[in-house]
Amino acid sequence: MDLRFSEAQEILRKMVRDFLATECPKTLVRELEQSEKGYSPELWKKMAELGWMGLVIPEEYEGMGYTFQDLTILLEEAGRNILPGPLLTTVISTFPILEAGTEEQKKEFLPKIALGELIITTAQLEADGTFDASGIAVKATAKGEDFIINGTKLFVEMAHVADYIICVTRTKEGATEKGITLFIVDAKTPGVKCEVIPTIAADKLCEVRFDNVAVPKKNMLGKLDEGWPLVETMMRKGAIAKSAESVGAMQTCVEMTVAYCKERVQYERPIGAFQALQHIMANMWTSMETSRYLLYEAAWMESEGQPCAKEASFAKAYTNEAYRDVSQWAIRLHGGIATSYDHDIPLYYRRSKAADTAFGSTDFHRELAAQQIGLK
Amino acid sequence: MDFELTEEQKARRKEYFDFCKELEKKRPASFVGLEAVFEVDECWQFHLDCAKEFAKKGWLALAWPPEYGGSGTMMDKVLFADARGYHGIPGVDIFGIGMLAPTVLQAASDEVKKEFLPPIARGEVMWCELWSEPNAGSDLATLSTTAIKKGDEYIINGQKTWNTGAHRADWGFGVFKTDPDARKHHNMTFILLDMKTPGVTVRPIPYIDGDAPFAEVYFDDVHVPAKNIVGQENEGWAVVNLLAGFERSGMGEIMSMFRELEEIVKYCNETKRNGKPLSKDPIVRNRVAQLACELEAARTIAYRIADLQNRNEMALMDASAAKIFYSELGQRFAFVATDLAGPFGQVKHSRWAAADGAWEKAFQECFVTIISMGTNEIQRNIISWYGLGLPRMK
Ligand SMILES: Cc1cc2nc3c(=O)[nH]c(=O)nc-3n(C[C@H](O)[C@H](O)[C@H](O)COP(=O)(O)OP(=O)(O)OC[C@H]3O[C@@H](n4cnc5c(N)ncnc54)[C@H](O)[C@@H]3O)c2cc1C
Repeated sequence: MDLRFSEAQEILRKMVRDFLATECPKTLVRELEQSEKGYSPELWKKMAELGWMGLVIPEEYEGMGYTFQDLTILLEEAGRNILPGPLLTTVISTFPILEAGTEEQKKEFLPKIALGELIITTAQLEADGTFDASGIAVKATAKGEDFIINGTKLFVEMAHVADYIICVTRTKEGATEKGITLFIVDAKTPGVKCEVIPTIAADKLCEVRFDNVAVPKKNMLGKLDEGWPLVETMMRKGAIAKSAESVGAMQTCVEMTVAYCKERVQYERPIGAFQALQHIMANMWTSMETSRYLLYEAAWMESEGQPCAKEASFAKAYTNEAYRDVSQWAIRLHGGIATSYDHDIPLYYRRSKAADTAFGSTDFHRELAAQQIGLK
Repeated sequence: MDFELTEEQKARRKEYFDFCKELEKKRPASFVGLEAVFEVDECWQFHLDCAKEFAKKGWLALAWPPEYGGSGTMMDKVLFADARGYHGIPGVDIFGIGMLAPTVLQAASDEVKKEFLPPIARGEVMWCELWSEPNAGSDLATLSTTAIKKGDEYIINGQKTWNTGAHRADWGFGVFKTDPDARKHHNMTFILLDMKTPGVTVRPIPYIDGDAPFAEVYFDDVHVPAKNIVGQENEGWAVVNLLAGFERSGMGEIMSMFRELEEIVKYCNETKRNGKPLSKDPIVRNRVAQLACELEAARTIAYRIADLQNRNEMALMDASAAKIFYSELGQRFAFVATDLAGPFGQVKHSRWAAADGAWEKAFQECFVTIISMGTNEIQRNIISWYGLGLPRMK
């Protein structure tokens, strides 16, 4: 056992941290919230030069061939700084291609993803709002050389700027995990319509309507009717990845709050001298640290290829609440100033809701955990 | 980063687990809760028997230097605590082995080391901690029990209180005021004393559940050889801090919660209420899963502390965070478990008790870890002042 990061990992962390500090200031974050695209193509290009989109893609497909744990280090820093845009959704969407893609699909998509030449996202949720297979009702029906997709997907991250959308469809009647199939859909196909849903984090989650969208059979990802395990893998990796962002975000909330409480004077002393506030900060720190090692454990297991559905759900369920709690305390300890739109802390608080919803809510992951610990 | 134990550590862990599993079969039925050894005669005897068994294996001196019979690493110590926690096995004196021995190793004279360490390693002498007084709790430095030097003896007068197991222990380590005129923090000495010394009176105190895990100790002209000290005379405060700084990861307590979680899951799967198993109730599933989640968080942070300790790095802030977290989690475990058991959650060890009364006991005992070893408020002070560097109000 050795719970330290390697030197190379520390270098990666510092590199990401320094880069984002200069390239992605909060002025840009706010600007992007208001913008139509929601990401900066210039920044995206620079990130591509550093190899971020291809971090976990093998070198033979132009990627960096790093581990999943390395990715979570990058994402922890992204969460710490806040990095708007389609990085996480693109990276998570590459996993089913890596896992189940044909050689042809890999050659077609992976190098372009790695080089930052295309944005890809995944469309899973629908009007029912559940992360379970039972919520998948969008239909794909075989017709000649194509499948025809019909229905509406919701909360598809960055779909409005995506080049490709992995669509999770139902190819067989029913509401179970059987009969789910994934397709890589060119976002420019006729019949695909995107509309951004206004959300707390202004993070460009989209409604995507599929109206008789024809997708060639060769774009089927994995086997017909057997796509659900791929979705589960994506959700598991996504849950860990999102937890990494949340741990990074908590770090900023704690650091900013502690620094502010040492500075701000009321009643002739720094407010950080008030024990009522000290203990809240001690709690915030404890929540962050307990989240951190849950995350590191899950990320390490995923990286080592060990089964870790339980640990991923533990990490996600726990960090969901911890992030929300830490960031709401961060606002309260700053007082009025942090309730202004222009303050940085509310950027984190608003993102705690987005982090909680993505890849499964607290209660969803608690139910998965309940199954894993043997509740019948 | 690597969360995996080495093959050697895995083998050691298995050895500890196998051994404790066998001992569990001999554990008296009256052994319920964390403090049973101090409360029930046959449980104290079981504690002594286990200590002898462990001594034979050399497991009471894990991570000690070889010249005092030590072997193994800090990690072995943690893995051993793992096994004992899971199987609910006593036999390791939390005071003698957990606190005094590492302090003596670091701060006592060779003479004291030679006299006091071997009986601890042999599991022959059990210790208690004589610190708190009626008017000196968190603010221990205001203590008033005196030990005045006369020739080659100290003569102790005054009272200590809340001393866990003082009514069972052979020896006690305490802090006493040795120079009433000196300034605070330089006026007390860390003294070791035989509890059978004339003038020592021990009165067990019933805890909220009526059992007596701790006692108050009165000193009436108690003569103690002046050589029985740790650290310098009048510098006992430094020793107190050294001892308190022996970070405890809480691994034993955490592993006992793993066992409790298994019991809860089993109970939910087997218990029908309203015509269906508790385990089918989504609210029950949610609450139990939340405990499991938090327990894993406690476990990983305990491993982080063990990892730091194993490399001789300090983990003051983490140790405080871990203590807060696992002790308050213990309380949540007790609350959820007694809730799930419905009316049976309140029943003491008897026919209608849920989990043999373990949950009822936990409901009452949860304050032990929350209040003792520095209250959780004091732990939060430590994180704030020493960890986060927040100003300390005088
Ligand atoms: C089960 C049990 C076993 C124990 N075993 C032993 C033992 O073996 N040996 C021994 O010597 N003692 C033992 N103790 C005593 C224990 O160490 C003290 O109870 C503890 O240190 C608190 O002291 P106190 O009880 O005097 O409470 P106080 O110090 O009076 O505290 C009362 C309340 O005030 C809070 N408080 C005090 N100071 C501060 C501060 N600066 N900031 C914020 N809050 C503060 C406390 O957190 C607590 O909530 C034991 C106690 C218990 C409950």
